[in-house]
Amino acid sequence: MSESAFPPPPSAPPPPPPAAPASPAAVPRRGPPGLVAAILAWVFPGLGHFAVGRRGTSLLYALIVTATFLLGMSFEGRLYSPEPGQPLTILATFAVYGAGLLNVAARLISTNPSGSILSVTYEYGCAFLLTAGLMNLLLMLDAYDIATGRK
Amino acid sequence: MLLSSLVPADHFLIMALYAFLISFFFALLWRSEKRERAVLFVKLFLALVVGALAVAWLMYPFPS
Repeated sequence: MSESAFPPPPSAPPPPPPAAPASPAAVPRRGPPGLVAAILAWVFPGLGHFAVGRRGTSLLYALIVTATFLLGMSFEGRLYSPEPGQPLTILATFAVYGAGLLNVAARLISTNPSGSILSVTYEYGCAFLLTAGLMNLLLMLDAYDIATGRK
Repeated sequence: MLLSSLVPADHFLIMALYAFLISFFFALLWRSEKRERAVLFVKLFLALVVGALAVAWLMYPFPS
């Protein structure tokens, strides 16, 4: 009887859940927005991580990527540019441009940005240059994830 | 360049240098604890060097 006399309201809101600890995403973040962190990471390897507060690893990232790029230049590798009839050079150009200002500066400074195909270490140099650019692209994504609170 | 006098000209040493840089980079990127990073670095470095030697050994009979 008492149930029919006092039916529960049909649209009664559920009781609020107990207070949960603040998730990392809910904590207000300091530092640059994700896009700015990614752009900084492209400008120079490790700069994006430095901006989001990962000071120690940023120096190591800068050292690794810069060393890989300079070794690629020393091995007389090629700084790729798109060539007609060679579609894969578009991907290679994208990879090399991932190294940011290192790539731009090397193109301006180097007397032979196309590398020396007759050199014994030419293929190694190309691999090192492409790898340096791709590593920096990964660093851009990582800096973005850190800045946006995903990591 | 200045580095050209410092870099190795031996094929194996260049490959080992490449493996070192790659392993160091991904150990930093994928792990956060120091010990975990060291373990992953060793795993990646050995996988790259030993794997390359194994593939080279398998390809040795070719193209004869």
